[in-house]
Order: sequence, then C-alpha cells, then structure tokens
Amino acid sequence: MRGFGAFLGKELREIVRTWRIWVLPGIVLFFALTGPPLAKVTPELMKSFVASQPGVVFQLPEPTYIDAYAAWIKNLSQMMVFAVIIIFGGLVTSETKSGTAVLVLTKPLSRPAFVLAKFSGALILLIGSIAAGVLATWAVTKVTFGVAPIRLLVETTGTWLAFGVLLLGVMTLVSAWQSSQAGAAGLGIGVWFVLTLLTLWEPAVHYSPAGLAGAANAVLARTGADLMWPLVTGAVMVGVCVAAAVGVFSRREL
Amino acid sequence: MSVEAPAIELRGLRKTYGTAHALDGVDLSVPAGSVFGFLGPNGAGKTTTLRILTGLARATAGEARVFGVDVADAGNDVRARIGFLPDVPGFYDWMTAREFLRFAGSLFGVTGATLDERVEALLDLAGLTGVTTKVGGYSRGMKQRLGVAQALINAPSLLMLDEPTSALDPIGRKDVLDMIVSLAGKTTVFFSTHILSDVERVCDQVAILDSGRVVVQAPIDDLKARYGAQKMVVEVTGGADDLEQRFAREPWASAVARENHTLTITVVDVDAARHAIPTAVAGQGVGLVRLEGGEVSLEDVFVELVGGER
Repeated sequence: MRGFGAFLGKELREIVRTWRIWVLPGIVLFFALTGPPLAKVTPELMKSFVASQPGVVFQLPEPTYIDAYAAWIKNLSQMMVFAVIIIFGGLVTSETKSGTAVLVLTKPLSRPAFVLAKFSGALILLIGSIAAGVLATWAVTKVTFGVAPIRLLVETTGTWLAFGVLLLGVMTLVSAWQSSQAGAAGLGIGVWFVLTLLTLWEPAVHYSPAGLAGAANAVLARTGADLMWPLVTGAVMVGVCVAAAVGVFSRREL
Repeated sequence: MSVEAPAIELRGLRKTYGTAHALDGVDLSVPAGSVFGFLGPNGAGKTTTLRILTGLARATAGEARVFGVDVADAGNDVRARIGFLPDVPGFYDWMTAREFLRFAGSLFGVTGATLDERVEALLDLAGLTGVTTKVGGYSRGMKQRLGVAQALINAPSLLMLDEPTSALDPIGRKDVLDMIVSLAGKTTVFFSTHILSDVERVCDQVAILDSGRVVVQAPIDDLKARYGAQKMVVEVTGGADDLEQRFAREPWASAVARENHTLTITVVDVDAARHAIPTAVAGQGVGLVRLEGGEVSLEDVFVELVGGER
C-alpha cells in the first residue's frame, strides 16, 4: 500500500482544484435548493393548470415536508444515479488515458494503493456532496414548510447513499477494467438496469443488494422494510468490486 | 544485489501480442554509470522494452534485470531506484511544476528539507524556477524538461528516457540534451531514440534494435571505427572517372561513389584495398592527393545494419 497517503492527498486536492468540486456537489445542491419550493408550489401549479380545463375537478392534499423529502429522494434515485455512473466512469480510465497513470505507477506507488486511493477520494466526494445536500434540503424544507425532521431525512438519504456507494464500487471495477470512460459508463448503466430489474423479484429485494435500489422510498414511507440483508450483501458487493478492481488493474498492462 | 551488476540486463526477452513479436529475444547489458543510447527505427521495440523494465508490461519470456533484480518480482524495490520519462508524459494540468515535483517526491517518500532542496535544484535544472503557471499551459518543450526533472526527484541510480526529444523543436531538443549531458557521471542514463545525432551527442555506448532484436551493442567510438574501417576515401588529381569504373570491378570493393576527384569506396578486404589503390592510381598516371579511412557517422552504421531491408 506504499504511496496510498500521498496519492489520496493528490486525489483530494484534485477534487478541490478542478471541475470535480463543482459538478457533483453542484448537482446535489441544485436538487436540494429547488426540491422543497417546487414541492410546495406543485399542487398550486397543478390546480391552476386543471382550472383551465372545463369539467375537471382536481384535489390534492396540502404539501408537507414529506413531499420535499420525496422530491429529494426522487432526484437522487434518478438524476444522481446517472451523474455518479458517468462521472465515476472516468475514475481510473481518465488517468490511464491521459498518461498520468504511467508517470505515477513507475514510481513506488503500488497498483492496489492507486485503485484504493481513487475509490477513497471518490467516496469522500460522494459522501461530502450528499451531506451538503442533506443540510441544504433540511434548511430549505424548514424555511418552506416550517417543519423538517432531520432524523427522517438522514435515514432516508443514508439508505440512498448505501446504493450510491454500491454504484461507486461497481464503477471503480468497470473503470479499472475498461479503457474508456464511455465504455465504463455503459457497463455501469447496464449494472444499474439489472439491479433495478431485480427489484421486481421479491427474494432479490429482501436478500440482495438490489433491495437498496428502492429502499430510500420505503424508509421515507415508513413501511418498516427490513434492510439488513440488502445492506450486508451490498457491503460485500462493494468490497468484492473494489477487490476485483485491484486485481484487474494489477494485471493490466499500461 | 551486487554492486557490479549491470544497470540493465536483458536475456532472451520476448514480448508477443497475438502472433506479432514486439521483442524477439533481446539480449542487452547496460553498464552502470554509462549514458546508453537505445537506438532503433519506429516500431523496433524500444518502448516495449522500457515498459517491461518499468513494470508497465510483462515479458512473454526471458529475463529483465535492473541492478541484478528481476523486475517481474521486484515491484517497488526496483521502481524506488529508477527515474522514468515516458515518450508522451501525462501531467496533472492543474498543478504547477513545483507542485508536481513535490507530489512526485512524496510518492518516493522524500520529504522535508531534502525534498525542498531537490525541488529547487530540479526546477533550476529544468529552467522552470520562475514559472508559476499551471502545467496545462506549458509548451511541449517545457513539459519534457519537467518530465526529466520529475524523473530525477528520487536521485535515481538509473534514469530511463523514452524518446525524450522526438517531438521537440531544435531549441527544445537542445535544452533536453543539455540536461542529459549534465547527468553524465552522476547516474546511469538509458535513452531510447530514433534520432541518431542525439545519440552521437550525448551517449558513450549504444545498442541498435531492429524488429525486436538487438543487432549490435558497443561503445559508439568502437562501432564507428569498426564500420569506418570499411570505407576508404581516395582523392586524385585527375582520371577519377576511369578509376571509379576500375575499382567497381575489383573483388575487394563492394561499392564506389564519386564526387569530382574524390572516390569513396566501400571495401570488403581492407588490406587488399590498401595495396591495390595506390598501384591503380600510379598505373593511371595521375597524382594521389589523399588516401584515408572514411569518416563514418552513426547514421551510416545504422543504415547499414537496419536499413537494408527497408
């Protein structure tokens, strides 16, 4: 693991000093800042639209903080998933393609340390972005609705984050394997599609990482869903993906 | 690990991609302390050899040793002793030269005052001391100079440079070659290129690689002397045309070229030529102005060794 600390330091400085600091946190904060106000005004917008249609009666309950949280989770589950897949598709491939990997890996930086530092840096960026998004969502929801239970928001977002980390593990593997970001992103979308498809099969939802795909909504709805197996198998899958990424990249010729 | 071990030793090194042989049994020994030119046309296998030596690729067969240690088993132990500049170095564009050198040093575990001193010395060597812009804005020449500097951050025992001057303008080439010349006697330099004049200028030993095989390895002076002895230059006062035709028929001559009164003869039997040429000139009834072994350039040697099949 020689060189891990130095290379992780480079990863973190790279996040702060390049486009990386703007894209993922920017997307998250955009959702966080616009979600609660949109949740507040959406029923009014619907009513004004329906009012122009003669003979149509439309009734919606008064929006609450639950609607703001639901909008936040919906955005994470849809747009953020693609952002994570596309951005982290270049996690390793960007370095192999630009030639920077050759320059650092001919120094005493081991390939496992290289892959683990890339994963760790991305994990910190993902968690940091989501944490900032949670705070922003909570604050804007509080201002908009007057009520914003932080614990429910943290539990719900935390459940989505488990799925986000699972995707990051998958992207680390495919990015270490593929030679292009587009190829890695394509494979990532394929894995996401399979996981989403598996949510149609009850045993997979209960006992596999696929259960994490829609778990945030279940937590928000307080359905009492048991997430132990999806979390455990999800953690195992992340570990397997990262270990496989190390194995694949260590054998790869540059 | 022996102190006397060659800096680089390759034995029967092979690398195949499918049915293509990038390296076809390379044998090479690079003495420690030398400035070694690794010459070859494009596609000869130079970069593949360097990729194996630096652990970026694995050999299909054979051995590659750096200071007596097999690179296939050594990993970081070997990399800690080498400096490497790839043919197209990739830098983090958002860093400055100083930041990149500090980062490169940290990967070797170089810290504190030692790192500070080396960074300043190498920025000076690369002519980048006052440059505060980010690497992304550098010219190709500046990047190559930074590339050489980053390869020296660990004070390597062996510096490997892959085509360091191939894409540079004359001034950039001169700058990089001057950097390499300044390293002579301080570290072993293994320098791949297809630019013959660069090798003649900075190297004391050379190996020529062609189609995945080393066709010759020798000190440059020996190589030029060996092949130079096979050329003879004859300058006469007149009758060069007749002499050209006569020498072309001689069994000891393989080729004759004429420029005014000067004949350059490629000879296959030097002793026979030394006796026959003055006799022929005297027999022609003309004066002999000059008879000497021809000056041969590395380019002549290179073309003779690898150019025949092209």
